[in-house]
Amino acid sequence: MKNGMSTKKTFYEVITEQGIPRREFLKFCAVTAVTMGLGPGGHEVLAKALETKPRLPVLWIHGLECTCCSESFIRASHPLAKDIILSMISLDYDDTLMAASGFQAEAILEEITTNYKGNYILAVEGNAPLLDDGMACIVGGRPFTDQLLETARHAKAVIAWGTCASFGCVQAAKPNPTKATPVSKFVKDKPVINVPGCPPIAEVMAGVLSYILTFDRLPELDRQGRPKMFYGQRIHDKCYRRAHFDAGQFVEAWDDDGARQGWCLYKLGCRGPTTYNACTTIGWNDGVSSPIKSGHGCIGCSEDGFWDRGPFYERVPDMAQFGIEANADKIGLGAMAGLGAAMAAHAGVTATRRALGGRDKDKETEDQDGQG
Amino acid sequence: MARFDHAYREIGDHENIRQIYVYEAPMRLWHWLNAAVVVALVATGYLIGTPLPSYTGDPSTVYVMGWIRFVHLAAGYLFAVLWVMRIWWAVVGNNFARQLFIPPIWSKRWIDGLRYQIAWNLFLVKEPRRYSGLNPLAHIAMLTIYLVPSVVLLVTGFGMLAEVAGHDSWQYHMFGWMRDFAVNTMDLHTIHRASMWLVALFVMVHIYTAVREDIVSRQSMVSTMLSGYRLFKDRRGPDE
Amino acid sequence: MAKVKTPNGFELDDAGRRVVVDPVTRIEGHLRVEVNVDERNRVTNAVSSGTMWRGLENILQGRDPRDAWAFVQRICGVCTGVHAMASVRAVEDALGIPIPRNANTIRNILHLTLYVHDHLVHFYHLHALDWVDVVSALSADPKATSALAQSISPWPMASEGYFRDVQERLKKFVSSGQLGLFKNGYWGHPAYKLPAEANLMAVAHYLEALDFQKEIVKIQAVLGGKNPHPMWLVGGVPSAVNVHSGGAVGALNIERLALIKDVAARAKVFIDQVYVPDLLAIASFYKEWGSIGAGLSGRNLLSYGEFPAQANDDSNDSLLLPRGAIIDGKLAEIHPVDLRNPDEIREFVPHSWYRYPDEGKGLHPWDGMTEYDFKLGPNTKGDKKHIKALDEGAKYSYIKAPRWKGHAMEVGPLARFVIAYAMGKRDIKEMVDGTLAKLGLPLPALFSTLGRTAARGLECQWAADRLVEAIDQLIANVKAGDLDTANTDKWGPEKWPKSAKGVGYAEAPRGALGHWLRIQDGRISNYQCVVPTTWNGSPRDNQGAIAPFEAALLGTPMADPAQPLEVLRTIHSFDPCLACATH
Ligand code: HEM
Ligand code: HEM
Ligand code: NFV
Ligand code: SF4
Ligand code: SF4
Ligand code: F3S
Ligand SMILES: [Mg+2]
Repeated sequence: MKNGMSTKKTFYEVITEQGIPRREFLKFCAVTAVTMGLGPGGHEVLAKALETKPRLPVLWIHGLECTCCSESFIRASHPLAKDIILSMISLDYDDTLMAASGFQAEAILEEITTNYKGNYILAVEGNAPLLDDGMACIVGGRPFTDQLLETARHAKAVIAWGTCASFGCVQAAKPNPTKATPVSKFVKDKPVINVPGCPPIAEVMAGVLSYILTFDRLPELDRQGRPKMFYGQRIHDKCYRRAHFDAGQFVEAWDDDGARQGWCLYKLGCRGPTTYNACTTIGWNDGVSSPIKSGHGCIGCSEDGFWDRGPFYERVPDMAQFGIEANADKIGLGAMAGLGAAMAAHAGVTATRRALGGRDKDKETEDQDGQG
Repeated sequence: MARFDHAYREIGDHENIRQIYVYEAPMRLWHWLNAAVVVALVATGYLIGTPLPSYTGDPSTVYVMGWIRFVHLAAGYLFAVLWVMRIWWAVVGNNFARQLFIPPIWSKRWIDGLRYQIAWNLFLVKEPRRYSGLNPLAHIAMLTIYLVPSVVLLVTGFGMLAEVAGHDSWQYHMFGWMRDFAVNTMDLHTIHRASMWLVALFVMVHIYTAVREDIVSRQSMVSTMLSGYRLFKDRRGPDE
Repeated sequence: MAKVKTPNGFELDDAGRRVVVDPVTRIEGHLRVEVNVDERNRVTNAVSSGTMWRGLENILQGRDPRDAWAFVQRICGVCTGVHAMASVRAVEDALGIPIPRNANTIRNILHLTLYVHDHLVHFYHLHALDWVDVVSALSADPKATSALAQSISPWPMASEGYFRDVQERLKKFVSSGQLGLFKNGYWGHPAYKLPAEANLMAVAHYLEALDFQKEIVKIQAVLGGKNPHPMWLVGGVPSAVNVHSGGAVGALNIERLALIKDVAARAKVFIDQVYVPDLLAIASFYKEWGSIGAGLSGRNLLSYGEFPAQANDDSNDSLLLPRGAIIDGKLAEIHPVDLRNPDEIREFVPHSWYRYPDEGKGLHPWDGMTEYDFKLGPNTKGDKKHIKALDEGAKYSYIKAPRWKGHAMEVGPLARFVIAYAMGKRDIKEMVDGTLAKLGLPLPALFSTLGRTAARGLECQWAADRLVEAIDQLIANVKAGDLDTANTDKWGPEKWPKSAKGVGYAEAPRGALGHWLRIQDGRISNYQCVVPTTWNGSPRDNQGAIAPFEAALLGTPMADPAQPLEVLRTIHSFDPCLACATH
């Protein structure tokens, strides 16, 4: 069991040696190319890449998180998670699935970061707390921040899986007790690709890995560091309930007639209009469903700070992020009412004063007129 | 160097001025068009966040929310165009067209006028003062709860529009940077909506005070915005 | 410390060599285990430390209670959804919201799906490599493997050619030099006992299970929109039933119901024909593990009960898995459990990285608090930024120490099954007795590492059966014209009392889960979770009593302390989840 670069095999070699016929391989490329949004001819590029590139070492480390991104990843259908980890990448470290524990596990990090300097991908699930020198998340007796920095140092690129790694997610919600901090705040000299979602869609995760493997570079990213091909559109713009939104047909209460007919969930707080993700295009769990399809609004789980944009069931959220525990409408309507009352009182006093002082004033005017 | 506070002027009792030409036609046209657009924006904007009760019927024939959004977006563009016009006129128009943008806070007289107007509205002084253009208190109100929120509404509005139109749109190329200021797109909505309430408050106070001043302060208000002339009701003027 | 006897009757001796396992892998989250071994390499002292904390309980303060499910659901993505369920139950309890019958059935379906999925993935992907030597599978005879597979199960993927292909794939994978997940495993360790053929069969099923598990969760996807982290709702479930012909597709119509029925049927076949036969086959080679790793399992067991057959009824008449506690191994006496009683469930922190005003006392979760207090004891080896050995005499874990009436308790599938068995639940008694008979093991063998792993497999099978039934029940109810899925009578905060408190129970895959909350003026004023792995993985309490992880490791024989395979076996038999335990 050698580990040298010389013995590295390409994806195509590995899968054909594993008894998979070329026809199957090409089919796989076609399906994957579609998932990745590669357009016409994309599958050929993919096939060529997979035929010529060795399996890419991936270190998958975990900070403060819930492991749901890993769980999501193993749900991938196109390509299958099994095929990714057996044939496309070499998942050399992943505390959730790996055989080794303890120092045998830690030794792998050492080995890969040395032997594959600049040639491995670091995938981070979760984020690192800054509280107390990072000791709210300890791995191998040391703060996770150390593991993150050490493994990132020689990585080719860093993937931030999920909203935790990308933006901070639930543990970074107000008041962020551990000072949980997203990956991009630690890694400054390497490309970081954010793949948000709580968790991200399995096919999106698979697609990102396939893309990097195929083109040996990161896909095009948007302003939030997310791959455009999966996060380029709002949930709302591809929502199959959109016709009901435009019509003004809303679910007014859970399980009402509109809910049963699949009307729009906007009034119950759906965050589709402010959320970028592929839930309504690629769909969840092999395209079976999506939150909205199940009858619940989107809570915006792929967006930065979505936890502090609640309550989730109010279309007009609280302004907690500005330190105000009420929404704009409550404040606005309150101010209108207050001001209305003040104006009425003011008008009342004005009128009374005028009625009382009116005679003098008229006289004064007459006097002036007389003078002129 | 031009004095920036010369549009501000109190008309003393000793001055025998009957009327002043304050608002030129483009200003008046702007004012009333703008008023109509703002009312439409507040109404449709409010309904975008808290929609009307649901309509029944086949969604292919009903388009209530669609129209509300269309009116809002159309009015939003108009609002922007009107501001461009207004700024252009501030450059080429008379002094009163510039006044709104330049509060002469360095002027002792102006600060004194501000104090006086506050006292006047609190019924602490008996006699109203006459002003050529905007009185200092009205000026402050227009800046803080109208001009500033207007700018915020414009920027956040176009910021949202960029998101609505999509990442490949020209709107996104022009205004996508807005998103960098908001942690979450929802923040653009929240700021936009909170600003809407400020503008709504302004409109309320503005109409009340305009009508009230017209009645109690010896000078015309509403008709000034119609005819352009400020009329000092207790003055005859030298020509009469 | 040398030798001490804990108040719950265990002998600890830290004289021998200290072995540290950190990270413990193939679990959820960050766990550190330290053991002392004597000259015969037997474990004489064990220290379990949860090494992550996120502060979810503190983050929930001041939030809308209807949102809480989404926050606490993110406590864990492995037992995904169970915290959400405990949360909506807690809020419904506080506000007095009964849920409709369909909502109850749908929640049962979601939760049974979790059991089936989570147990399956634990067995193959988190636990199997403790028993299965992947490298040994390379030398198996595919023909003999096929014969073995066919002798234990009718599962069709069992031909010689099939196993030959799998073996080829594995061979090429290993010879590529990039071992991926299998790198640095304990291959060839003397504690591996399976013949090569059984190893090959298990590796084949590891891969099949990886492919199949994603199918099971489609049930959650249909009813909750996605998995992991499906959507929940206070007052019922969000998935309305759609019997209209017009309109966009709602959540549940006949096509969707047919889909989940089909998935459940396939899951049942997979569990019956792959998981359970593999479990029995592997267990038959490791019978000595029926007397290793007992810990507290033969003594103190706790279950809150789960799967109400009747909506809004959590009495033992309604719960398919009963609620109760066993103390000191007295199976004949099942104690009632009251989650509201301030004297029953209490959490202690003298050995946890939290601060209480008075650490001699425990707090009932309604009055609980979570205040971060990371500090290391004077006997810690290493320094703050590099801990080499913990000082278990001081604070040493982010897990609190929950106790029931002062007792440390084991929770999980084994606890549930033993309590149900002791209460004479027929379905469970039959499964347990049948399995013990097949393995030729006596009842006390249940109280062990093997027993824990077996109980999980049996429970998975039990859950698959109940899942099929529950889906039929839902379909029948909908056909009978009952479409209600949510109760919105008290949806708005204006209909809530000024202050309220509630508790939500659940039996998570890993054991008893409770969420306690207080609501003040429409907002959460306190929220406390006591989670299965909090019970099992807890550090010592104010009396020095040890909890299941530590207790179960005592006496474990290790062939080679540098390769802690035996420690992993026992720890994995609990299916630890650290994100859960510490939250
Ligand atoms: C949405 C509605 C409205 C908006 C946004 C608005 C805005 C403005 C602004 C920005 C000015 C300052 C013009 C300048 O000097 O640059 C102004 C002046 C004025 N507006 Fe309005 N206005 C609105 C409605 C009205 C209405 C309904 C009335 C009459 C009842 C009115 C009466 C006036 C008057 C009299 C002035 C001149 C004040 C003065 O001469 O000192 N406005 N308005
Ligand atoms: C006086 C000026 C304006 C007012 C009072 C106003 C008010 C509002 C309000 C209250 C909303 C709903 C916000 C929410 O609850 O999400 C809204 C939405 C919006 N406004 Fe404005 N707005 C103004 C100007 C503009 C301008 C200049 C634009 C730019 C074109 C604009 C574009 C939008 C867009 C794109 C939305 C979001 C529509 C959607 O989410 O479907 N608004 N506006
Ligand atoms: N412990 C635990 Fe969970 C479970 N099962 C929680 O309730 O795993 Ni993440
Ligand atoms: S992003 Fe969400 S799903 Fe992923 S680890 Fe974080 S909390 Fe879990
Ligand atoms: S359900 Fe949500 S995403 Fe879909 S149309 Fe309505 S608001 Fe938009
Ligand atoms: S909640 Fe998340 S899963 Fe998709 S629909 Fe919304 S982004
Ligand atoms: Mg707790």
